[in-house]
Amino acid sequence: MSEQAIKVLLVDDEADYLQTLSKRLSMRKLEVYSATSGQEALAELDKHSVDVVVLDVRMPGMDGLEAIKEIKKRFPMLEVIMLTGHADIECSIEGMGCGAFDYLLKPVAIDELLYKIQDAYKVKTLKERKIADLKAAAQERDQHA
Amino acid sequence: MVIKAIKKLFGLGQEEPQLSAEEVGSLRDAFKARYHSFKMLLAANNKALELMSEMERALLGDRPYGMAFIRAHCTGIGVNVFQMVRSMGELAPERYQALPQRFKDIQGRINQELARRESEQDLPLVVSLESVDKDFIDVVGSKMANLGEVRNRVGLATPEGFALTSKAQRLFFQHNQLREEINRRIQATDLGRVEKLFDLSAGLQQLIVQSQLPPELTGELRAAYAHLEKRTRPGVTVSVRSSALGEDAAGTSFAGQYRSQLNVASSNLEEAYKDVVASLYSPQAMSYRWGRGLPDEDVVMCVGFLAMVDAAVGGVTYTRDPLNIRDSRLFLNSAWGLPKSVVDGAAVVDVFVVERGEGLQVAERRIAHKEQKFVCYPEEGVCRLDLTGDLAGAPSLNDEQALALAEAGIRLEEYYGGAQDVEWALNQAGEIVILQCRPLQQQEKEAAAERPVLPSGASPLITGGVAASPGVAAGKVYWVNKDRDALAFPDGAVLACQQPFPRLAALLSRAAAVVAGQGGMAGHMANVAREFGVPALFGLGRAVESLRQDDEVTVDAEGLSIYAGRVEELLAAGSHRKNLMLDSPVAKVMERVIEHVAPLTLIDPDAAEFKAESVQTLHDITRFCHEKSVHEMFSFGKKHHFPERSSKQLYYKVPMQWWIINLDDGYHEEVESKYVHLENIACRAMLALWDGMAAIPWEGPPAMHGRGLASVLFQATTNPNLVPGVKTSYANLNYFMISRNFMSLHSRFGFHFSTVEALVGDRPPENYISFTFKGGAADFKRRLARVHFIADLLEENDFRLRLNEDMAAARVEGLPQAEMEAKLRLLGYLIMHTRQLDMIMSDPAAVEQYRNKMRVDIAKVLNLTGDARP
Repeated sequence: MSEQAIKVLLVDDEADYLQTLSKRLSMRKLEVYSATSGQEALAELDKHSVDVVVLDVRMPGMDGLEAIKEIKKRFPMLEVIMLTGHADIECSIEGMGCGAFDYLLKPVAIDELLYKIQDAYKVKTLKERKIADLKAAAQERDQHA
Repeated sequence: MVIKAIKKLFGLGQEEPQLSAEEVGSLRDAFKARYHSFKMLLAANNKALELMSEMERALLGDRPYGMAFIRAHCTGIGVNVFQMVRSMGELAPERYQALPQRFKDIQGRINQELARRESEQDLPLVVSLESVDKDFIDVVGSKMANLGEVRNRVGLATPEGFALTSKAQRLFFQHNQLREEINRRIQATDLGRVEKLFDLSAGLQQLIVQSQLPPELTGELRAAYAHLEKRTRPGVTVSVRSSALGEDAAGTSFAGQYRSQLNVASSNLEEAYKDVVASLYSPQAMSYRWGRGLPDEDVVMCVGFLAMVDAAVGGVTYTRDPLNIRDSRLFLNSAWGLPKSVVDGAAVVDVFVVERGEGLQVAERRIAHKEQKFVCYPEEGVCRLDLTGDLAGAPSLNDEQALALAEAGIRLEEYYGGAQDVEWALNQAGEIVILQCRPLQQQEKEAAAERPVLPSGASPLITGGVAASPGVAAGKVYWVNKDRDALAFPDGAVLACQQPFPRLAALLSRAAAVVAGQGGMAGHMANVAREFGVPALFGLGRAVESLRQDDEVTVDAEGLSIYAGRVEELLAAGSHRKNLMLDSPVAKVMERVIEHVAPLTLIDPDAAEFKAESVQTLHDITRFCHEKSVHEMFSFGKKHHFPERSSKQLYYKVPMQWWIINLDDGYHEEVESKYVHLENIACRAMLALWDGMAAIPWEGPPAMHGRGLASVLFQATTNPNLVPGVKTSYANLNYFMISRNFMSLHSRFGFHFSTVEALVGDRPPENYISFTFKGGAADFKRRLARVHFIADLLEENDFRLRLNEDMAAARVEGLPQAEMEAKLRLLGYLIMHTRQLDMIMSDPAAVEQYRNKMRVDIAKVLNLTGDARP
């Protein structure tokens, strides 16, 4: 996809799952950070620049839906993929309504998840370019004015 | 006028304003972003359609599925449709504003169908057996309700006791939020795999056992036990019995899948309660519900606490022959000590057959050599004692006892108005105590079907034993000696074991047949095998050991025989396996839910109703968004005077009757002029389709007019004779929209309309081809015949078809790139070579001739390799 590794933050309260997933995604050349709760995720995001967050829905403390709202508020350019065993229509639509890129159900094939991360990253870069174009256009207007 | 419109549509002949480099850059970005939205929409469309067709396939009922399947599919489809609606908003802001609300409405209806109807009435947490009768089924489960009825209405002796109700279990689950966690874990597990099922089961049971009982519940449990002590004796031990609720829904009786604990001391009541509740998630119970289409969350565990009976003799009475509805004799299975040896079905036990007539009489006594018995320890628990000497071979019942038991059985049968399966004990004083009573499922024996004549040489490997469940089946022998063997049990194997332990029932939904050294027709495995329609031959003794792992055998249960290999004559005569999903509660939920998901009511995009307000189902939304998004992508270019993205005419030696729109990276080099050369096309899907079109020269039926349709494809537009007449021009318009991995083709040859859409790249799970075709010049009947003709050829080549009058849609998905490209060549060939076929459809001989020719051609086209372009 690109020469630069996609930076992804995995958030899940199941430590085993988290560890396996980080390992497998790292092997696929992603730069992986992890967190076991919503609060921890926000702290990680303050520390590292991340492209895509993969977020569990059911977690003790701050749950996935609260977390995505907070993430989208603080880091509007981030793309968030919800990944959960929680097959619930209302919850999935609420997550999508909060701006989730996708809502995937466990178990998910590792490559399918990888593709989703790549697609989310692409959306992010396209958005960034659009904003850059708008800024450039505005600057040009200012210069002409 | 029309030509002008077409020119405008494709941006031909327009004055193109000069763009600055920056403007070109940002336009490129804008197109790129739009194209990405479009691609996301297509991917979501593809995923949604795939999930819908999985639901439709499941509805056929030939494979088990549970509520988790329905919920996961509805969630997945919902999310993908949401994405489509969102992408639609990006592609055409403010255009289809009714969509989000329509989507919400439909989702709301689906959610309603899925919502659990849990009637939390004002139930007590504990009920004493003295006040229970059959009206208490919803409160204490069928097992305890029946026992109360036997005690209080029929008037036979039962143990004293009480039951924790359905409300008690719900309170327990709510207190620990167990339901959500259990659903989550089931969702995340692939239940189709045995070892995953066992892992999941272990985890869930542990979760339940480690949870805390709410204090309110402990309080009531202790009070009820104190009351029981008063009625019996201080420190009385109890049997803690499962009495599940909701399992009768499909006309099933299913007791033994759940655990019961015998002889539990006062100090361990809470632990025993949790353990019995946990058995809701034993592998056999989960696999049973899954196989029968029973929703997990509808099965509630009520638990009975009964004063322990110190049994001298125990057993089970069948008041009729479970295998033959016309046999009115009673069958008493009996052993020394607790009835456990009989119920487990794993030991050899005595069988007494009692005949009805003027008076009851014992007609048969099959006295087994009983090697063990189960007795109570004084403090807690049961132990297995080896029997030695005379007792092992002595009959466990005398005639007087057998007749008294038979009489009790008949009283129950008459009271309930049907054959019964009665578990009983004789206490140390010799008095009969009824422990359980439930309807006996009898099998309709097929009217003395002639046994097929077997080919010479087919002599059985093994004969003997007891037909525990009728039928004939073949499969490879798979031995389960240890629990861990069960983990690798292959689908469709013949389960071979020494003892048919109840826990092996977890494998029944996968087994072709079961054979066992021990066991008889009573016992849990036999019950479930009959219910699932799995042939079972038990009590084969040591002979069963001669079966070797992986050898293919045919089991003829009623013929009491096992043959080497597949004996087709027997298999053909044998009964078919029951379809257990049909009419199950899960299937009913599925039927209601799928009504809001899968039907397609928006069919004709040219119809006036084809608008956002009219969508009725999720499928409608996908159809609508797909159609409109293609349209939006197509028309976007004309609004922007952007030469790179305006449509180009395909140039291959000469200008051709094909137009190309580059969505993103469909060309090797950007094109500014009005032509794009075939060599510059980077879209491999389009090239594959093109190869298929060009591979074989058209020699179809006589062209319908003098110009020769065959030449349309390769005619130069410069030929003034071919400049189309006003009417036919639009009909002959063929355009491709492409990127490197994607192509969408709309083509019209004469009156035939077809579309091909394909995503083909290095992500096989996302690859798909969809092909729709309709129309023709002939009358409806012949058009229809042509559609079926094409559909057949496509199905032969792994496409999945959906037919709607003279319109057909074919899809293929998930194959690697090279295979997808071969399928595209096939489509290219069909598009070129089936155009005029409706003209000959009324002539069967001609049809057959074309079919054969086409099959030969198709084989060639599929095998094209490398660059076959002329």
